[in-house]
Amino acid sequence: MTIAATPTQVPVNVDNDKCIAEKGCTVCVDVCPLDVLAIDMLTKKAFMKFDECWYCLPCETDCPTGAVSVSIPYLLR
Amino acid sequence: MKRIDMEFDLVVIGGGTGGPMAAVKAKEKNPKLRVLLIDKANVKRSGAISMGMDGLNNAVIPGHATPEQYVKEITIANDGIVDQEAVMAYAANSFDMINELDRWGVKFEKDETGDYAVRKVHHLGSYVLPMPEGHHMKKILYRQLKKARVEVTNRVVVTRVLTGASGEVVAVMGFDCRTADVYVIKTRAAVISTGAAGRIGLPASGYLMGTYENPTNCGDGHAMAYHAGADLANLECFQINPLIKDYNGPACAYVTGPFGGFTANSKGERFIECDYWSGQMMMEFHNELEGGNGPVFLKLDHLAEETIQEIETILHTNERPSRGRFHEKRGNDYRSQMVEMHISEIGFCSGHSASGIHVNALGETSVAGLYAAGDCASVPHNYMLGAFVYGRLCGENAAAYCAEHGQGAVDAGDVAAEEARILAPLGRTDGLTPFQIEYKTRRLVNDYLQPPKITRKYEIALRRFDEIREDAEAMFAGNPHELMRAMEAHSILDCAEMAARASMFRTESRWGLYHYYVDHPERDDDNWFCHSLLSKGADGAMQMRKKAVEPYIVAIDDEERSAYQRLRVARSAEAA
Amino acid sequence: MDIQNFSISERLGSLDAEVRRLAVIDLPYGDEEDIVSLLLPRLADEDAAVRTEAVRALEGYEELEVVSALAPMLLDADDGVRAAVGVVLSELKGSECAPPLLPFLRGHTAEVRTLALRAIRALRVPEAFEPAMEALKDADAGVRREAVGVLGYLRMPQAIGALAEVAALDADADVRRIAIGAIGYSSEQSVLPALTRGLADNAWMVRDEAAQTLGKLRLGLAIPELVRAMQDEYWQVRVKAARSLGLLKAVVALPALIDALAHPIGNLRKEAAIALGEIADPRAIPALEGALEDSDPDVRKLSRLALTAITLAQK
Ligand SMILES: Cc1cc2nc3c(=O)[nH]c(=O)nc-3n(C[C@H](O)[C@H](O)[C@H](O)COP(=O)(O)OP(=O)(O)OC[C@H]3O[C@@H](n4cnc5c(N)ncnc54)[C@H](O)[C@@H]3O)c2cc1C
Ligand code: SF4
Ligand code: SF4
Repeated sequence: MTIAATPTQVPVNVDNDKCIAEKGCTVCVDVCPLDVLAIDMLTKKAFMKFDECWYCLPCETDCPTGAVSVSIPYLLR
Repeated sequence: MKRIDMEFDLVVIGGGTGGPMAAVKAKEKNPKLRVLLIDKANVKRSGAISMGMDGLNNAVIPGHATPEQYVKEITIANDGIVDQEAVMAYAANSFDMINELDRWGVKFEKDETGDYAVRKVHHLGSYVLPMPEGHHMKKILYRQLKKARVEVTNRVVVTRVLTGASGEVVAVMGFDCRTADVYVIKTRAAVISTGAAGRIGLPASGYLMGTYENPTNCGDGHAMAYHAGADLANLECFQINPLIKDYNGPACAYVTGPFGGFTANSKGERFIECDYWSGQMMMEFHNELEGGNGPVFLKLDHLAEETIQEIETILHTNERPSRGRFHEKRGNDYRSQMVEMHISEIGFCSGHSASGIHVNALGETSVAGLYAAGDCASVPHNYMLGAFVYGRLCGENAAAYCAEHGQGAVDAGDVAAEEARILAPLGRTDGLTPFQIEYKTRRLVNDYLQPPKITRKYEIALRRFDEIREDAEAMFAGNPHELMRAMEAHSILDCAEMAARASMFRTESRWGLYHYYVDHPERDDDNWFCHSLLSKGADGAMQMRKKAVEPYIVAIDDEERSAYQRLRVARSAEAA
Repeated sequence: MDIQNFSISERLGSLDAEVRRLAVIDLPYGDEEDIVSLLLPRLADEDAAVRTEAVRALEGYEELEVVSALAPMLLDADDGVRAAVGVVLSELKGSECAPPLLPFLRGHTAEVRTLALRAIRALRVPEAFEPAMEALKDADAGVRREAVGVLGYLRMPQAIGALAEVAALDADADVRRIAIGAIGYSSEQSVLPALTRGLADNAWMVRDEAAQTLGKLRLGLAIPELVRAMQDEYWQVRVKAARSLGLLKAVVALPALIDALAHPIGNLRKEAAIALGEIADPRAIPALEGALEDSDPDVRKLSRLALTAITLAQK
């Protein structure tokens, strides 16, 4: 058996122009209770890695540059 | 993957609400104690109060309510099955805790003279204290952790509490969800404060993390207490919530009630007789939904503009701030439309209901050195303030326990076995994913365990859970994050089985919808005026037994009982 | 090398303002023991965003050196910094924090006076009395609001007259409303005229507050006015009046409350039923029995309870 890579549209969007992860920011990654955000090693920007969001918003509220925006996951909308 | 060995005097598992309080209070009691607070998320923003709270639902404030009155109300709301001493331990310490939180900087609503602005929601005492600016709770708790010099370890998922030769706590094990490093932490005592088991059933949206409870709270604590040999109480008394349809955020009768909002049927009429968030209320909700008067709505459109603005500010900034966004997408405006509500999937949560790891008025479980506080422990209707009060009691009592007990020997075989169990899914290159195991378990919980409860359905569920258990042995995790989900899937399965076994044990109906057992539709006080306890039998299987209700310390006379009774079950009385 | 590998203290000294700001954000959650002494220098950072963050990170520290460093920052050139200082100072609880705040209660801009008054309210220090009394006459409504708040928290008998005057005459409805609430610490009869006048205010929120405060203070002399308030055009005000009449066990309110049992708004019928139970006069029995058929279950339930209460009272 093999494991499939099924694509899904994630609810959290990071504006790369605003994200300052390369300056040492990991705030959104730190605060996410479900640990679904990560910093991309190549682009040095935050992104949503796993579609497991509680739409609780600390990532958006605490981001120092307002780079994160959370929408309600599509299945709930 | 490394193995990390540590040694502490007290490990607090879960840094949400009750956990940080337990750690701080243990340190205050004995500053020399080595205390570790450990969380699978980051304590900075973890747990149910991650974004703050709308208010205290159960504040016992002099002049507005008395501890005795509170104990009576909780006793009756739980159909008599309560350890009153444990409820009293909460009620008697509630006001001091509010004052302490106030001093720490938590903002409670006050009137213009600085008195707490208590709101009346229940009709006998007044218990609701709003927190219009309640969003900084975690920051405040973190500051206290720092001041008390509690050590904090984040992103470590605790999986088991190990016990020694005489069944006492000797160690805690877990793993880092980013590196899969395995932690073996020797300790003399532990407090479990891992919150509700809120990820057992599947939300109607089908989105796994679309739960009411913070999805980190998936029943790990219930499972680790069970495997450590502790008793769990009254698990058949489920938690089911009235929620905004699909959004799974609270419908907030507590917030809107004092402003004049209420739950209405499709005719716009109020239908709920029981105003305590209880199984009785959920039964009325369920009947209305099923009985042709549904859907059910939150009605605010009769309120004044100023009032609606105030409600919006509270509901859209605290607690579940994405709510405003949800309504906007749906085109809902409180001014012109009622908001559709629904009933949630099942869970275990003493915060809102009454089941969990059994504890007494000291916060002790049935395992020596093991304590439990908050939504995972068995003190009913505890909510946030109860998590704080019991956090304090557990921290102080665990510190006292440590003063008298040394570190017990840790069995190397136990450690090796747990390490192998944790790492197994990473070692495989193929298999079912944690998502598949979790989804299927939770889907079956909805299909077979959601009340009304039917024996035949429960039997099918148990058989299917066994099948999944076998499948879960071959679970595959491609990285440490998936490993976390895999271990959680095991906890979810354990909790699903507990929910089924406890329900089938109590062959009567009680607590409204929470334990509405179709095969045994009547309440049977002769045989079932008792707690039910679930524990791990000598054969490793779940076993059930009865425990007598502790003698009441606050007597409830007949007149009061009938006054409450008239409050709660009026419709059937009227029909009779 | 990755920035995260530098210690927080090193990052605090970076030449890049954004790096310094991020270090300040991380500081309260890191391993550093003495947060305060690392943060204080950053209050003088040349970058406003760093200063703002440093101010926020100092929330909850009541040490005099912290408060003394923060208070003058009410005059910071940057709007964001001033706002953050205002919030953090308003969290203070201990009266020992007051001295550094006192110079900002008078003079300066209206914004500074507003924030300083707000900060000193919960400290309840007598030194705030004079400046607050003066500020009742401030041209700025925001300042007057906060001044009223300070006096309400201080609960000093000398302020009653002035608060009553504000409650009656202030041009701003919200200030009048808060003043009505702020009087709620004295049940002396001298507050009666102000509160009853509040019941006739042209802003409904003021009337609402007055109806509620009269109940809180159990001012029986206001019963006739409260009964009149049962005819208010806003049902919200009637609800508060009913609540207070119940608390006052006002037998003369029976007819008005019985009328309210027939009002189209369920919330009001409910409150009337509760009040009738509290008054516990058997003359309400027929009306309450009628309400047992109400379309609203809450009203039915509370009517049942009220009837029980009346029966119990007669025993
Ligand atoms: C949306 C919502 C609204 C609410 N509104 C109110 C309200 O208005 N008023 C009120 O009084 N109450 C309210 N409650 C209830 C109240 O928040 C809870 O009763 C209380 O916060 C529970 O505290 P706790 O410590 O038990 O759990 P939590 O605060 O949830 O903490 C549990 C912690 O355990 C951690 N954890 C879980 N498993 C593990 C593991 N295996 N290893 C390590 N860590 C783990 C989690 O990450 C989390 O940090 C609300 C709850 C919710 C969910
Ligand atoms: S918090 Fe904002 S700036 Fe920081 S890493 Fe996340 S997106 Fe980037
Ligand atoms: S909304 Fe919550 S769960 Fe979703 S990414 Fe942000 S912090 Fe994580």
